[in-house]
Amino acid sequence: MWRPCGIFDETYRQDMAIVRTPLRWGVLTVSVGVLLAAPLFCSYYIVSVLNTLAITVIAVLGLQIVTGYCGQVSFGQAAFMAVGAYSSAILTEKLGLSFWIAMPVAGVITGMYGLLGGAPSMRIKGFYLAVATIAIHFVTMWLVQHLEITGKSVGLPVSPPQIGPFAFDSDERMFYIIIPVMLAMTYGARNIVRTRVGRAFVAVRDNDLAAQVMGINIYYYKLLAFFISCFYAGVAGSLWAHYHGVCHPEQFQLLRGLWYIGMLIVGGLGSIPGVFFGVILIRALDESVLMLSPYFAQWFPWLGTAPAAGLGLSAFGLVLALFLIKEPRGLAHRWEIMKASIRLYPFAY
Amino acid sequence: MRTRWIRWAVVVISAAFLSWGLFPGVSWAKEVAFLDLSDFTGPVAGLALPSSFGIEDYLKDVNAKGGIDGVKIKYIGVDTRYDVARALSAYKSYARDPSVVAMEIVSTPVGKMLQNLLRSAKFVCLVPGDGEFQAHIGNFWPWGPTYQDAFAATIDWVLADWKKKGQSGKPKIAVLSWDNAYGREMLRGGKEYAEKQGVEVLPSELFPPGSLNHDVYLTRLEKAGVNYIYVGGVDPTQTNVMRDASRLGLPKKIQFISDYWGPSALGISLHPEALEGMVVISYFLRGDEAQNHPLLKRLWTTYRNQPADKMNEGYGMGVGAAITLVGAIKDAIKRVGADKLTREEIYNSYQKVTGLSREGILGPCAYSPTSRRGSDVVKFYKVTGGKIVPITDWVKTPDAVSLHKW
Amino acid sequence: MTEFLQLLVIGLLEGGLYAMVAVAMVLVYKSTHVVSLAHGQFMGFGALAFWFVLVQLKMPIVVALVLALCFAAAVGWAVERFAMRPLIGQPLFAAFLTTFATFLMMDGLFQLILKGESASFAAYLPLGSISVAGKPLPTTQLASFGASLLLFAGLAVFFRFTKVGLGMRATAEDHQLAQSTGITVRSIFSYIWMLSTVVATFAGIALANVSDIYFTLPYMGIKGLIVALVGGLDSLPGALLAGLLLGVLENVSAGYLDPIVGGGVKEVAAYVLLLLVLLIRPYGLLGLVRIERI
Repeated sequence: MWRPCGIFDETYRQDMAIVRTPLRWGVLTVSVGVLLAAPLFCSYYIVSVLNTLAITVIAVLGLQIVTGYCGQVSFGQAAFMAVGAYSSAILTEKLGLSFWIAMPVAGVITGMYGLLGGAPSMRIKGFYLAVATIAIHFVTMWLVQHLEITGKSVGLPVSPPQIGPFAFDSDERMFYIIIPVMLAMTYGARNIVRTRVGRAFVAVRDNDLAAQVMGINIYYYKLLAFFISCFYAGVAGSLWAHYHGVCHPEQFQLLRGLWYIGMLIVGGLGSIPGVFFGVILIRALDESVLMLSPYFAQWFPWLGTAPAAGLGLSAFGLVLALFLIKEPRGLAHRWEIMKASIRLYPFAY
Repeated sequence: MRTRWIRWAVVVISAAFLSWGLFPGVSWAKEVAFLDLSDFTGPVAGLALPSSFGIEDYLKDVNAKGGIDGVKIKYIGVDTRYDVARALSAYKSYARDPSVVAMEIVSTPVGKMLQNLLRSAKFVCLVPGDGEFQAHIGNFWPWGPTYQDAFAATIDWVLADWKKKGQSGKPKIAVLSWDNAYGREMLRGGKEYAEKQGVEVLPSELFPPGSLNHDVYLTRLEKAGVNYIYVGGVDPTQTNVMRDASRLGLPKKIQFISDYWGPSALGISLHPEALEGMVVISYFLRGDEAQNHPLLKRLWTTYRNQPADKMNEGYGMGVGAAITLVGAIKDAIKRVGADKLTREEIYNSYQKVTGLSREGILGPCAYSPTSRRGSDVVKFYKVTGGKIVPITDWVKTPDAVSLHKW
Repeated sequence: MTEFLQLLVIGLLEGGLYAMVAVAMVLVYKSTHVVSLAHGQFMGFGALAFWFVLVQLKMPIVVALVLALCFAAAVGWAVERFAMRPLIGQPLFAAFLTTFATFLMMDGLFQLILKGESASFAAYLPLGSISVAGKPLPTTQLASFGASLLLFAGLAVFFRFTKVGLGMRATAEDHQLAQSTGITVRSIFSYIWMLSTVVATFAGIALANVSDIYFTLPYMGIKGLIVALVGGLDSLPGALLAGLLLGVLENVSAGYLDPIVGGGVKEVAAYVLLLLVLLIRPYGLLGLVRIERI
């Protein structure tokens, strides 16, 4: 691993640390503190955006592991979230479990389901696998819409999480469940990718033949990547269901799954901070288009309110396309370059 | 070079953020807002767009005449693109804005989430016709009669038609609709009503929206000996179904009836031969009745700058909803004064505007403390010679919602 | 038996349309290895251009077709030049997402033009039905099916006998080898995109002839993607075969399975078929089999 000059690891513990320097500890503590205090000074709207962002981050972290690290592209993350959401809803509402048990169990159930979803990766890779996951998405959502236990097309109501008599039934309260879970999941992802398992994922991604020659059981690791990724999706789905209080099949559309991959590529494949960049950038773009659409009507009165919304969609597409053309390696790549140049300032290299 | 455009992008995006952060905060005196979260793009745009046009234009017209006792109503239209996360965050950005006194939401999954969010609040939210909202009285106000009630009114019409044709025995009816929550909604209560009245309901045929061919479903229904087919879906679904049906020669044997989101006069003029003979149930004026309605004609030609025969009848539905909104605001102003227009007062007023006249575009308003139906009368139309002409006067819809076990 | 035959014929007709949509995508993938989502929009815009010239400007049908195809070629050229060429040598998924961004951009414009209405050129194209063996078959779908067969024949000739067509095949084989034999790979890419948008326009017109120009039209592109995968992403005959197969399967399964499971089978049949094909023949029915370990 590359080290900035002047920083030496003297003990094994230092060598293994995720947060390496006191400065980083400081920055981390302050930013987590500010984040946790957000409901105190942010508006209701910002808090709700943060909640949605955090849930999306969890789902995309899972995708980063399977796609960014293990190289198996999956468009099925939205369907896996649906599996998590529905299993959590069924566990809490029909079996009477508490949310605190249901959330991890839903994650494990989704992980198991993900083994099924990842099965085609034994035979195919690349784009063929990607589209196989689209098929898995549609088959899953079709089942959700036609099975008795998932409430068919009507959906299921879900109650908010509770500790004793205290119910987490508002955005501000759910914030204190969603954000810690997100932080824990980020920590987990950060650790997974630097263990033996994570290195095996990278080996499978970079050259599966070479990985096998080195003694890595690629089937095992591909399925493991799908399991972990779907565990993340399941937890995200469970949070989503309890946050919104309802599961409905039309909440989990294919377009979500496509967006998650989009966020990943905009943020940067194979980088945990990249997930944050991608999710935040795309959501910010989307939110600003959404909020600007009433103004489009004021700027172009001859169009009328509703068709002007089409302009918003076009603008969104245009910005996204420009971004991809100018920065196809993602924001994380740019972030690394920026970090290096700041560290080396005022020298060029 | 590369970093430069990134810098610009950051500036533009943050400026965009700031701009919407600042603007909605500025409030003008005596202005209330109506929030329209609608799918201007996406699968139900054909229904959402014209009705949003109607609401917007009627409110513009009211404002141009000086508002209601000086209070102006601002129309905020947000495109939700049939995406739940987007619609929800659009709602939340206005959720604590006191000037937003009422809203409208078209997509069913978002409605479900809001139902949960608005549990304790009193806030008028207009929705399409799910009967669920009549069964659980709350913040959600269907624009017109519920799907179930319209289906039940159809059953009454079917029985009369059956007798008129001199047939004996039980008529058989089947639903042919989209394979989603909407496609199944009319039978929750509608089925119970039909069975009570002695009409046999065959199993529904559900197909994915956007199907290219419906022969499979139509031939199966024909084989089951159906007499009436109730076709659901948003225009042009009915047109596509009818093109297949007329090719198979079915309209001679089976009477097709369209749900109230059925073909507009424009759609009918595109495929007159296929739709000939189809009966359309509607709670708002259709065809020439709508296009020659003085108010609608004036609004359409003034604000849309188009000839009246280009009007989609959904426009009238939007105008009707806007008249109700204005009526409720008037009532609230009369009760509490223009300075105290809160969501709760508008909510209370919505319960008090029972019987409000909608200039004949819709039947009299049926909102009340025990009813969430926008109206309880429908009209039957028939496609004859490429035109949609009325075959009945306003007919009261039976209550089918209460028959279902919710 | 007659019921089965009827389902079969209807399925074949529907499948011919699917095949046409898929061909456009196969063309692009074959030589550039980019999977394009934007083709759904190319269909929509092609049909819209055709409708505009034919119905709004009231030009004869041949002029409308020629103008629509020229328009399509221009769109294809522009997309290749401004969106795809800068991405040569970058990750393929960036290119895939760029086609998705193009899809969104065009979706907004599509909406702006249509304003919630549907457009139809029914009055100008064959309508009604022809009775074959006592069963009425839709003329619109028959005509579209015929057009799709013609298109396949034309493409087969093009790839076998013209210089550009041969160049495209060489490029599909290996970019560097093609370059070293004197083929300008860059302009071949340009031609490929133009050709594929032209094909997509054909498909769009044929589809719009069956179900009008409406919001759902661009979303048929997803169906095309599935067909292309079932047939093999780089095989033109595969696209035809898979399209027909899928059309038949959808209708037959809806005919026989719907009463058993309670409806909606037509939606999911395509995806189940896709999963099965991918598991049994990973490179599609007729796709080029790459011999490698996975």
